[in-house]
Amino acid sequence: MATCNMNILLNTLKKLRIDHTIMRSFQKPRFRPPYWYIPKERAQTEEFLTQDNKHFLDEVVQDRKLNQALVQSPLASVETNQTAQWNPHTRRVGLIARKIGNYPLWTKDGKKVQTTLLQVVDNHVVKYVPPEEFNPMKKSSEIVTSNIKRKLGCILVGSETVDPSTVTKDYCGIFNNVGILPKKHLFRFMVSPESYLPPGTPLSATHFRVGDHIDIRAKTMDRGFQGVMKRWGFKGMPASHGVTKTHRRPGNIGAGGQKARVWPGTKMPGHMGNRWRILRGVKILRINTKHNVIWTLGVAIPGETGAMCYLFDTILPEKKHNTQPPFPTQPLAEDVPLEYFDDSVHAFDQQSISFEES
Amino acid sequence: MALAIRRSTTDIFCAAKWFTRRDCRVLSTLPEKAEEVEVSTVVKKDKVIRARGSRNPHFENRFVYPEFLPDPNPNWRNSLREKLERADMLKRRNQIDIPEFYVGSILAVTVADPHSQGKTNKFVGICIERKGCGLRAEFTLRNVVDHQGVEVRYDLYDPTIQTIQVLRLEKRLDEKLFYLRDALPEYSTFPFDMDPELLPEGTPVPLNPVQVKLKPRPWLERWERQELKGVANIEEHLREKDRVRRELRATPWEKYDLMKQYRKTIPMEEQNDIWAEVNSQLQQLHMTRKKMSRKRTFSTPKTQLG
Repeated sequence: MATCNMNILLNTLKKLRIDHTIMRSFQKPRFRPPYWYIPKERAQTEEFLTQDNKHFLDEVVQDRKLNQALVQSPLASVETNQTAQWNPHTRRVGLIARKIGNYPLWTKDGKKVQTTLLQVVDNHVVKYVPPEEFNPMKKSSEIVTSNIKRKLGCILVGSETVDPSTVTKDYCGIFNNVGILPKKHLFRFMVSPESYLPPGTPLSATHFRVGDHIDIRAKTMDRGFQGVMKRWGFKGMPASHGVTKTHRRPGNIGAGGQKARVWPGTKMPGHMGNRWRILRGVKILRINTKHNVIWTLGVAIPGETGAMCYLFDTILPEKKHNTQPPFPTQPLAEDVPLEYFDDSVHAFDQQSISFEES
Repeated sequence: MALAIRRSTTDIFCAAKWFTRRDCRVLSTLPEKAEEVEVSTVVKKDKVIRARGSRNPHFENRFVYPEFLPDPNPNWRNSLREKLERADMLKRRNQIDIPEFYVGSILAVTVADPHSQGKTNKFVGICIERKGCGLRAEFTLRNVVDHQGVEVRYDLYDPTIQTIQVLRLEKRLDEKLFYLRDALPEYSTFPFDMDPELLPEGTPVPLNPVQVKLKPRPWLERWERQELKGVANIEEHLREKDRVRRELRATPWEKYDLMKQYRKTIPMEEQNDIWAEVNSQLQQLHMTRKKMSRKRTFSTPKTQLG
């Protein structure tokens, strides 16, 4: 019986042939989300809740929001026994802000400057990953070499509290152990281990000081598929003088002869905008501590009104911090002035500007 | 022969116009009905507005303080930014008296200027434009100095402005007076030592129905297409071609475009919130300024007597 079975098995094995093989060429690893990433969106279904139950759920959310506001910052207890030292090479955590518009301010010498307003909406530290465990999945060779020299940890920051019933259970799990409500936006900041912050620490606009320079990372306005004149600023061709059908076209895109092809990187029509861009060295002119709003100089901050921005200490050597900034962050205090103004900025409740005769 | 043909063609053209108009009326009958309906609705609207005005004490504020209403473009709006902006505007208004004025009023503005002698600069002129929302609000003054037209644009909330004085408070027939650039110079000439004309308290802002005379062409803009009420002699300078083009380019339906109007304005409900937030402070400022001005008016006759 056993031999019979063996024979059958051998026969079937003989019939097996390898006639289709897939050879995979080497591919660069694609971007994969970080390991703490958990899908946030949940399919919204009809819950068939009664009106009373809905009210009850709303009340629960409100209570939890209040509790979150009342919880004392964990920084208060930590800072007393451990004081980390700041040096010019340490990297601090950044902030997540929303761009809320532009309006002019005036300097003390009477010059009008345009500013962009960035609102820091309830930012909380969600997680800290020490450098030994932090292993970003997507890395280019440059980051690897620099990481060997100087290992960086990672702080996960969340912003804008949402109703927990609108997101997945797993996503809520990230925040439950910290004791905060789930956040709409998450971002990781690479930090040096000295600037560790315990999870649950609230971050406010006073993390930066007036007069500091910051780098702002945001997505530019999406302009869709654009021609060469709008995308690259080409001149186009004349409107008249016998020109037909080539008013906005690029013209020649390559030479003939030996190199009869289009060179890589030639400026051509294509999708414009909706890219991540960093604007470096933006000066902070004014900070409102009540609404956590930062006024920054200039209107070149990427994105439309309502776009999310990520703020960091600048890496420009000329504009880096000279003195110690609030480190690891500014603890929340009750008796802070409502607004901080840069020395160059005229506050509107001051007297009109007048010049003295010399 | 050619002349005869031309004449006949023009006659036919006129007749055709007449016919078509008639036909439209006969065929559709909609416009006539619509007109009737409109009349009734207009009357109703007036009543409604009056009723609202009586209910809402700060309904008139949108004409007196137009810059407190934000830009209606939804892409640029944010409630917190608007609130902060309004707070800043009120702070500036606490520092300096920004009076009520309209396009067509004559203003005197004194500005701190590091390059002028005495470090201040005074300019008198007629306000030909007022635009912008929030801290960007601005107005333009025009005057003719030494036979040379001069226009200066000021930011309303610029802290270098020392004083803004209304020399003559009045409105004109149009919302923008850019046609003064092509009008005879006497319409925009005002002496720099003009005395302020005081209106008795409680009088409504007077409307100046003056119609200016334009200089012959060339003009800076095609004034004939803008349906201006404050220009007297525009037909003198027009050629037949211009009249035809004006007819072709006219957009008489735009005043019935409710959606366009809606997009240009801030809805009543939002306006109510804004005025409720701002009104008490504005009223207080107005009252204090009134007291100050009364004191000033008592002092002026003495100097005249002396």
